[in-house]
Amino acid sequence: MATAIVFLPLIAAIIVGLFGRTLGDRASQLITTGAVLVSAILSVLVFKDVALDHHTSTVTLLKWIDTGPLTVDWAIRLDTLTAVMLLVVNGVSSMVHVYSIGYMSHDHSKPRFMAYLSLFTFAMLMLVTADNLVQMFFGWEGVGVASYLLIGFWYDRPSANAAAIKAFVVNRVGDFGFSLGIFATFFMFGTLQFDQVFAAVPGAVGKTFEFLGYHVDALTCTSILLFIGAMGKSAQLGLHTWLPDAMEGPTPVSALIHAATMVTAGVFMLCRLSPMLEYSQDALNVVVVIGGTTAIFAASVGMAQNDIKRVIAYSTCSQLGYMFFAAGVSAYPAAMFHLATHASFKALLFLGAGSVIHAMSGEQDMRKMGGLWKLIPVTYVLMWIGNLALAGIPPFAGYFSKDAILEAAYAAGTPVGYYAYWLGIAAAFLTSFYSWRLLFMTFHGKSRADHHTLEHVHESPSVMVVPLVVLALGAIFAGWIGVDHFIGEDMGEFWGKSILMLDTHQGLAHRDEIPPLMSYMALIVGVAGIVLAWIFYVVSPGLPGAFTKAAKTLYEACLNKWYFDEIYDFLIVKPSMWLGWGLWKGGDGMIIDGLGPDGVAAVTRGLSRRASRLQTGYVYHYAFAMLIGVLCLVSWYLLSQR
Amino acid sequence: MILSALAFYLFAGIAVLSGLMVITARNPVHSVLFLILAFFNAAGLFVLLGAEFLAMILVVVYVGAVAVLFLFVVMMLDINFAALRRGIRQHLALGLAVGIVLLAELVIVVGAWAVAPEVAAHTAPIVNSAVTATNTQALGAILYTRYIYAFEGSGLILLVAMIGAIVLTHRARAGVRRQVISKQISRSRAETIEVVKVPTGHGI
Amino acid sequence: MMPVPDLIPALPELFLAVAAMVLMMVGVFRADRTSAVVSWLAVLALIVDLVLINRGPLARTVTFNGMFVTEQFAIFMKSLIVVGSAVSIVMARQYNERNRVDRFEFPILILFATIGMQAMVSANDLISLYIGLELQSLSLYVLAAFKRDTVRSTEAGLKYFVLGALSSGMLLFGASLIYGFAGSTNFDQLAKVLSSEAGLGSIGLIIGVVFLSVGLAFKCSAVPFHMWTPDVYEGAPTPVTGFFAVAPKIAALSLFLRVMIEPFGHLVHQWQQIIWAISLASMVLGAYAAISQSNIKRLMAYSSIGHVGYALIGLAAGSAEGVRGVMVYLAVYLVMNLGAFSVILCMERRGESVEEISDLAGLSKSQPMTAAALAIFMFSMAGVPPLAGFVPKFIVFMAAVHAGLIWLAVLGILASVVGCYYYIRVVKLMYFDTPAEALDPTAGGNAVRFVTAVTAVIILLFILIPGPLLATAEAAAASLFQG
Repeated sequence: MATAIVFLPLIAAIIVGLFGRTLGDRASQLITTGAVLVSAILSVLVFKDVALDHHTSTVTLLKWIDTGPLTVDWAIRLDTLTAVMLLVVNGVSSMVHVYSIGYMSHDHSKPRFMAYLSLFTFAMLMLVTADNLVQMFFGWEGVGVASYLLIGFWYDRPSANAAAIKAFVVNRVGDFGFSLGIFATFFMFGTLQFDQVFAAVPGAVGKTFEFLGYHVDALTCTSILLFIGAMGKSAQLGLHTWLPDAMEGPTPVSALIHAATMVTAGVFMLCRLSPMLEYSQDALNVVVVIGGTTAIFAASVGMAQNDIKRVIAYSTCSQLGYMFFAAGVSAYPAAMFHLATHASFKALLFLGAGSVIHAMSGEQDMRKMGGLWKLIPVTYVLMWIGNLALAGIPPFAGYFSKDAILEAAYAAGTPVGYYAYWLGIAAAFLTSFYSWRLLFMTFHGKSRADHHTLEHVHESPSVMVVPLVVLALGAIFAGWIGVDHFIGEDMGEFWGKSILMLDTHQGLAHRDEIPPLMSYMALIVGVAGIVLAWIFYVVSPGLPGAFTKAAKTLYEACLNKWYFDEIYDFLIVKPSMWLGWGLWKGGDGMIIDGLGPDGVAAVTRGLSRRASRLQTGYVYHYAFAMLIGVLCLVSWYLLSQR
Repeated sequence: MILSALAFYLFAGIAVLSGLMVITARNPVHSVLFLILAFFNAAGLFVLLGAEFLAMILVVVYVGAVAVLFLFVVMMLDINFAALRRGIRQHLALGLAVGIVLLAELVIVVGAWAVAPEVAAHTAPIVNSAVTATNTQALGAILYTRYIYAFEGSGLILLVAMIGAIVLTHRARAGVRRQVISKQISRSRAETIEVVKVPTGHGI
Repeated sequence: MMPVPDLIPALPELFLAVAAMVLMMVGVFRADRTSAVVSWLAVLALIVDLVLINRGPLARTVTFNGMFVTEQFAIFMKSLIVVGSAVSIVMARQYNERNRVDRFEFPILILFATIGMQAMVSANDLISLYIGLELQSLSLYVLAAFKRDTVRSTEAGLKYFVLGALSSGMLLFGASLIYGFAGSTNFDQLAKVLSSEAGLGSIGLIIGVVFLSVGLAFKCSAVPFHMWTPDVYEGAPTPVTGFFAVAPKIAALSLFLRVMIEPFGHLVHQWQQIIWAISLASMVLGAYAAISQSNIKRLMAYSSIGHVGYALIGLAAGSAEGVRGVMVYLAVYLVMNLGAFSVILCMERRGESVEEISDLAGLSKSQPMTAAALAIFMFSMAGVPPLAGFVPKFIVFMAAVHAGLIWLAVLGILASVVGCYYYIRVVKLMYFDTPAEALDPTAGGNAVRFVTAVTAVIILLFILIPGPLLATAEAAAASLFQG
């Protein structure tokens, strides 16, 4: 069954990818969507079997690599962590497949799109079911490729190509860390299979590498290297720049890959590696700091964006920060819980935004929207649900997971825990502010669109609305359905051995013991954010302008994403370009080509001309050449004998 | 012994000198004449070695035939030797250098000549000089027996040389009157002589 | 009185000599169509000769007072030479007729050259070596100048003659040094002398071997004694060039092999250096100089220089494996070159022979089969597997590696990479360039076309059944090391 879940999307992708043109649009959509829907249904069954009835297992498919000390199998590891991810991935993926049928109805290459989506789903499933680091890396790179293909799906747009390349290249940086982490793991433990690695970890505490004369704690180093991989994929601060640009892809792609599933791979990885991370306090602290900073940073940028999808993209980035610092304070269940709930409400928001864009004939700038709520009421309601969940207003899903994360961070009682907590609270305030900013700018006030666009505004077809409704149900109910199992009393039993939390890291279990004010803080600032947004954008629309003038520097910084792209451009891209140009023209063109192919060819021609010029046609020249030859040989022997 | 040594150095010295003159003389006819002189001296060296038959052959064949042929060729063909020598100055230094180095090396090599004891066994004369009195007899005895292969092979080479000379130079020219002896002999009186009756006092 | 020597081992040579003289009489006394009759009779004589060669004694047999030797090695090499000569006579027929050089002396001279070459292969004495060499050379000088009405042919003959005389002089000088220092001209005696300590240490002997090698290197046109080759190949009539490219090369190389292995086998560490140097120089010069040639016969000249370089690698190895490599190389080289020259002989435009490489442009359109055959020969010469040319190259390189001459093998492979360029340029011209004025489709005649077809098939399919040739060559190479 697990095998079917993983490989059905692959089969569908291959069939549609190869024969899409022959099959036609309709058949392609049916095959891929059908395959993923079946996978989703099977995932529910697997979830019940594995997560609720605790039948964990590992299915070995075949031997992959067997070279002396290194043995790697293709295997499907089924435990609660995997089951949750299967449910999330297949659930969102199937909804996105269905949604795409409607959203992409005007596109010319539907089969290609559907094939990519299914390919992505397969790679993601491969990633979450991996039984060892190499297989995980395979899935990791697979989703990277699929993401590249989908961001650049409209390959006739230069900006889409640039964004695709950017996503791929930035991810390579993270992947480089990941692969170094894999090497380090193999170096330390001699195996890459999870169970064997985890069993060996406690014995490796305190070991050191010697690197350039420094003694580096081996476990911390390995963990941080792997974490760098997670940072790249999950767009954490520093490696986040690709995510907003990735919005160049079609909106369903943004919903599936850049909100619900792929970007959460990093969080999943941290949880999967919890038995390793737990033994390295330093690595955990790094995770917390990076996560907390990302949360507030992305939220601040989100406030100033005007592109509806970019707002949600930064929101995603920010929420991923929450999940990371949750993992960093050892609240892995909370991280996973937030991952699951976030998947449903963020997919809902993206698809809702897609519905808006669809209605506005492709317009994404919120400054050109407004007053849409009467025209597309269903989408409006669904966006409200999504935003409420995102802002953490009870009883929506986000409330349960986000609150748990913040409480766990406070309850951890460490300095980095408090750091994360306060930044998280601030980010929560900003989150609700920009969410309602989005809502008010899009749906309320006077319309700023030209009337030609307005004439065409229409509610989306049911094939797009139904997935939204399903996801909305998730956004409403996922929280209180899952709270007991994921982070409540049944937590230990539910997760089983898939997540390890040392006794010294029990912030999550003790979150009821924190001061009441601290636990209500998130809710208070959430509501405050909504109110502020209401004042700014509904009551007195002149305020934002006045405010931006008053705090111009701050606003500019937020609008320009804290100048990350510019800094990178200056520090890395430009020097790389110069270096690349220099190596190309100077190194490759002059030295390699000059001495290599071109040079050899030129020398060959020159020698050839010279060799044939020896042939003068005069007999006495020839005779003289012979004499010189004789002389050389005779001299050679005389000299070598003496 | 002193006399034979003196004779050797005389012949050898003149041979080398005349060899030098062959290549340096301005007039090609002089060159050929010096060549003949060199041949004569070589024949003298043969006589000193007791090979009087070879000495005579050398004089008869080389001086009597080859060198005289050369002389005819040189005199008949109007070759501008001065033009041929024009480039010699620019090549002279290099050519001399190569020649001198090669010569020096060969002197070193030949100077180190020493016959190993095993070798001496092979150098014993093939023909017992006591049995055959003269050179000519001794050569005749081995030429058609021991060296028959080389002898016949040389014969083939000469045959090829002859064929080659004919192939490359012989042409059947039209309009050349040849003497055909069989035709001359087989002519009957009837086709040669016509008897004409001439009336007396009239002339033909 | 001495007994009459055993004539049976030399039967093929005796037969051929008598046949040549009889044919000469036929040529002189027959009135019409003499050259055709003499040519076909000469081919017949060569076929009989081939049979006689192969029916000769397999074991090593020495006769004529140690001057003449025959064994499997000699049988192998002579067979190759005879095949080369016979095919050359056949291929020359139509060319000679068209170019008004159709004289009966042509096949006769080839017969005499063949006798000389057979004598070279069987030489067991420095004297018989020289006689065989001169018999061959003299015939070749005349053949080179055979088209006596054209300046280029005459010039080719004269150049070849003058330089050949110089090389003969050096060879004789070497021989006399060897005689002076070793006391014998017989190969068996020399080997005996050199097996002792005193004989080995003599510098004069080594210099003698150097001069001898120079003479031999001239005959197989190894660098730096190759200068005559391009000019003579270009100037000589095309069938003669084809003949030059195969039979004399084989004879000279087998003589080289025999001289180096049999009498001077004990000096292997001394002469290995000479062979190493001239082998490398030949490969490199053959590869580089060929690139800028525009005349296909000059191209083939440099190609043959390069091939001699590769074959000499096998000799440089100094082992039975290397000798076997040389033998296989020569066998394959014979077939490739006959094929290539059969195509060159077909290059005619409006009844006139053309020799520029650029004349081949677009041949694949006008004569697809001929173009395919030439492409096969070119790829084979470049050593591209699975064509026949790859196998011997591989063997000699392996032999060099086993003999510790790794650098020679590496440089040889590099040179063959450069060599690929000009071989494949011909293919590119035929297949990808815009056609020049088409060549006459029927030029060359049936006999030549037949040779093209047969050689192409052999080159193409050799890889399927290489066994017989390899096994024969192995036995023949082993026979050289017995004596």
